[in-house]
Amino acid sequence: MSRTSQISGDAAPLAFNEKPVADARPPRFVSAGTQSHRLSSGGQIDRKQPLGFTFDGKKMVGFAGDTLTSALVANGVKLIGRSFKYHRPRGILTAGAEEPNALVELRSGARREPNTRATTAELYDGLAAQSQNRWPSLRHDVMAVNSLFSPIFVAGFYYKTFMWPAKLWEKLYEPAIRRAAGLGKASGEADPDHYEKAWAHCDVLVVGSGPAGLAAALAAGRAGARVILAEEDNRLGGRLLSENGEIDGKPAAAWLADAQREIAGLANIRIMTRTAVFGVYDGGTYGALERVNDHVAVPPAHQPRQRLWRIVARRAIVAAGAIERPLVFPGNDRPGVMMASAVRSYINRFAAMPGRQVALFTNNDDGWRTAEAVQRAGASVAAVVDSRGVVPEAYRGLNLRQLGGVVSEVKGGVDGVRSIVVRDAAGRTQQIETDCLAMSGGWNPNVALSSFQRGRPIWRDDIAAFVPGQCPAGMVMVGAASGDFSLAACLREGHAAGTVAAKDCGAKGKAGEEPQGDDEGFAIKPLWHVEGGKAFVDFQHDVTASDVKLAQREGFESVEHLKRYTTLGMATDQGKLSNVNGLALMAEATGRDIADTGTTIYRPPYAPVAIGALAGHHRDENFHAWRLTPSHHWAAARGAVFVDTGLWKRAQWYPIAGEKDWLESVTREVRAVRSGVGFCDVSTLGKVDVRGPDAGTFLDRLYINTFSNLAVGKARYGLMLREDGLVYDDGTTSRLAEDHYFLTTTTAKAGPAMQHLEYCRQVLWPDLDVQLTSVTDQWAQFSIAGPNTRDLLKNLCDPAEDLSNEGFPFMGVREVSLRGGMRARLYRISFSGEMAFEIGVPARYGEAMAENLMRAGAEFGVTPYGTEALGVMRIEKGHVAGPELSGTTTADDLGLGKMMSKKKDYIGRAMAGREALVAPDRQVVVGIKPVNKTNRLRSGAHIIPKGAAPGPDTDQGYLTSVCYSPMLGHWIALALVERGRERHGEIVRAYDPLRGEDMEVEIASPVFYDPEGGRQRG
Amino acid sequence: MAEYSWEAQSPLRKAFAPGRLGLASGDAGIAMTEISDFNLVQVMARRGQVAAVAKAAKKAWGVLPPEKPGAAVGKGVTLIWTGPDQFFVLSAGNEPDPVPSLAALFEGTASFSDQSGGRCLIRLSGARVREALAKVSSIDLHDTVFPVGAAAATSIDHTGVNLWRGPDAANGSPVYSLLVFTSFADSLWHTLADAAAEYGVEAARTPLS
Repeated sequence: MSRTSQISGDAAPLAFNEKPVADARPPRFVSAGTQSHRLSSGGQIDRKQPLGFTFDGKKMVGFAGDTLTSALVANGVKLIGRSFKYHRPRGILTAGAEEPNALVELRSGARREPNTRATTAELYDGLAAQSQNRWPSLRHDVMAVNSLFSPIFVAGFYYKTFMWPAKLWEKLYEPAIRRAAGLGKASGEADPDHYEKAWAHCDVLVVGSGPAGLAAALAAGRAGARVILAEEDNRLGGRLLSENGEIDGKPAAAWLADAQREIAGLANIRIMTRTAVFGVYDGGTYGALERVNDHVAVPPAHQPRQRLWRIVARRAIVAAGAIERPLVFPGNDRPGVMMASAVRSYINRFAAMPGRQVALFTNNDDGWRTAEAVQRAGASVAAVVDSRGVVPEAYRGLNLRQLGGVVSEVKGGVDGVRSIVVRDAAGRTQQIETDCLAMSGGWNPNVALSSFQRGRPIWRDDIAAFVPGQCPAGMVMVGAASGDFSLAACLREGHAAGTVAAKDCGAKGKAGEEPQGDDEGFAIKPLWHVEGGKAFVDFQHDVTASDVKLAQREGFESVEHLKRYTTLGMATDQGKLSNVNGLALMAEATGRDIADTGTTIYRPPYAPVAIGALAGHHRDENFHAWRLTPSHHWAAARGAVFVDTGLWKRAQWYPIAGEKDWLESVTREVRAVRSGVGFCDVSTLGKVDVRGPDAGTFLDRLYINTFSNLAVGKARYGLMLREDGLVYDDGTTSRLAEDHYFLTTTTAKAGPAMQHLEYCRQVLWPDLDVQLTSVTDQWAQFSIAGPNTRDLLKNLCDPAEDLSNEGFPFMGVREVSLRGGMRARLYRISFSGEMAFEIGVPARYGEAMAENLMRAGAEFGVTPYGTEALGVMRIEKGHVAGPELSGTTTADDLGLGKMMSKKKDYIGRAMAGREALVAPDRQVVVGIKPVNKTNRLRSGAHIIPKGAAPGPDTDQGYLTSVCYSPMLGHWIALALVERGRERHGEIVRAYDPLRGEDMEVEIASPVFYDPEGGRQRG
Repeated sequence: MAEYSWEAQSPLRKAFAPGRLGLASGDAGIAMTEISDFNLVQVMARRGQVAAVAKAAKKAWGVLPPEKPGAAVGKGVTLIWTGPDQFFVLSAGNEPDPVPSLAALFEGTASFSDQSGGRCLIRLSGARVREALAKVSSIDLHDTVFPVGAAAATSIDHTGVNLWRGPDAANGSPVYSLLVFTSFADSLWHTLADAAAEYGVEAARTPLS
């Protein structure tokens, strides 16, 4: 059926005050059970599968295929919730994701989910929904008194009223406002369900499966492209599910069934239903949310509730349709006022009748379809009110009461609409009884995805709507989303876009025939506002037409200011219904046209995305990946306490029975090492194989000191600077062969240092013949320290190994044979200041090494120690670590200035000579002791001269590393202090305003223990 | 004198349990296997020696090292691309130090680094393997993009992974191998098991053959 219509001079003028027309057909309601408004036939619901559900505790029944709102409509429910600010009663406005009013709390307990759009909630057996934002009940909400004070609660109310006194804002105003406003409440419990993320790849992503999307997917799929067809709904079809029409000579439903069959048979088309594409990102990446198990009470075992997709597509065809626009007239928010297209959806798709006597208010041809649908369903049409004062030609055959004019008032309350008042151009009014008012203000193409990369939509007067502007690379918009509303145009554009996209991706097959559909016309004459009372623009945020005008009067004329001043478009529906009406009103108030007024910036996500879905798998113990040392399970079995060090889990200390706190354990471990022998897993240090003929030259350029002259079989401490002359990292590097060095980094810098090395090799000095490999994970490395270290090693090593001072001097390195048939690398280096070695074996022998060290050291009381004891011993020895290598210190600040070679160039050398970096008053590393030896030092405390008032001018540095020294019997610290090296012996203050502490301390040498170093060389 | 023994331990020794994980009914959609007992050496051509290295590899194993991301199967070895002018040599066995025998083949044209202890090898296959991997990997594993012999040096759950596709399993399922750093193995195994749980997982351990 062709239904071309035009408003022309010869169109029949609408009669006013015409007599009601008798209905031609009897209604076909089912009155069985609770479903007072269910049609006896039709719809895509399964009447054999009844589903029980509750709304505010009331038991009702719907059918499989229902949404929560269609079931509520079928049960005759009109009142669903209360609005945000005025607590006005609200019903169901739409049948889609744009719903602003019908928000409910779904489920209960830990799964309670506030602000769920009931239109998108698929009905399941046992579903429990509660209304929200009301007290004590939905029908009797005391906060509805807000509406009486609405002259006060205008736009900008909070800013104006609660300005002063400012200190009351946090304590009084904000909590009170939040109680009064706000919608549903979160459960406050951990979500018991899990969420995940996944990637998908395709040639052509088709967004939306209405006629345009289906035609696109079919064309691209037939041609052989890899296609993903993403549909937000639980079934394919888009508006085809809600409209009557013909495609290729068949009823739309039959064509849809054929199309689905064909798509299912094409292995290269992947169908993703319940999947909303919410954003577009660089490189053709699209964000999408799949609601895998939102349609069941509890997800099946091992399945996620929702899945966040990153879809990488070479081409995207967006067939996201259009969203019908409300009309702005007094009382347009009453329960029972519904979008005309939603009325058709409830009737045609769900066989649920929103009213028994439906009135229609429209400014365009499309709205008239609803009158047709209502009549076909056997309900009566109370009247059609067309503000244009004409009957479209295609609808002249309808036997309807047709009126020219506007709806100027809607009467009704919590039980819905009772009647409307229609006003004609002359100002005459009449009242019409109705229980449902369908409204149509035209259609807004769903331009969101086209606009997320700053493409600005373009205004088209002929359809009174914005259409897509510049789309992101690789994307096209088709069908209603591009402003072409007819079925024929949707099919044509979808087919063409699918054909082109497949060809662009190299597909060689044939796209097949273009489907042919009805070419309905679309004519509209905008009506932006009907004066006379509270007319809502943004339903959820209670923004009225007068709020928009107030914003204009107060100077908030830019659409971005309008949005923020009135909160227009900032609700959960993000202005899908309200934005165009709001800016049209602003255009009217400012005398500009709509194109000049423009739109606000579009930003993803298009649809709400739960934070849980964005987190995916990464929560609780999976918050981030973890790294385990080679002796981890051995340490765990001994009861070690672990600490997160970056991703690593490191043994922090090993408590033994009877120890009352960590300090006791750590003190024991330190004493055991210093008096006997202990060992610690240091595998977390970064380790790099540096190989090749130019390895020595490479290291000379990298470090401030020289490595090319290091003898094979020796280790040396090295320091690297950044290009800016500040210290980057440190560690010992050993020469294992002429062309093989083994470099170590700190744990924290292992990753970045490897990147730095590769950058130097590949970018700065590609001429050097040097090869790098990270071997951090290859080696299990243990530090063995204490006066009995050599004795322990004698037990562990093959008797032929000479471990004497002469046979294995300080800083010596070599491979040794161990008892039981194992080769190991042995390094005589010390971080603790004790006689110490590090021993390395392939990581798979790490656990065996820990056990064998225990065996070899048993007779000396060998003690495994953790990172805390390691830290205590390095502070006692004045060795710098992370807190001193803070990115603000120079080599000289650390007391290592003498290492800076003057004979060669190296990274950072030039910049290290800058005036400020060699200034005599720099803060340098010193030791700190409390004057009162019972005082506990705190890291972060500021160094202030005695007698000076603390402040930025008197601040001379701070404590970087603090510990209790078991060897000295009191707390000690390392600190960075101005001119610190000249001030050993001076008494200053450690001032800690955070903890309210202020004490006298003495500046000292950073080497507290064994300053001559005899122990490590012994 | 105490007895010293050196038993090699898998980094998965706590994470791994043989048998069924996740969905318990029906056929397991994923087979997740720890491959043990392998030698893994990184070979890096020295400056100007790429051709010589390729020639030596061809002579030794009858196959050229991949010049771009790929995995080539030669006599007793798989050569896996790891970067420009470098590749892994993966072979069955448990040599204490596999470098000297390899170095002899290349006569000073390359540098070597033993990674046998630095990596854990996990093999995934099964009817649902691509769906499970799609949850952790950004790589497109479609047949046309990632056929048998394809490889990638990529990132999974914030750690570097060498991923390649070997010959299909007897049941026709694709087979993907993942080399992951030893310290990350426990974490990644859990992540993979979680990703695959909804399809049902059959976990196993087997030496490289």
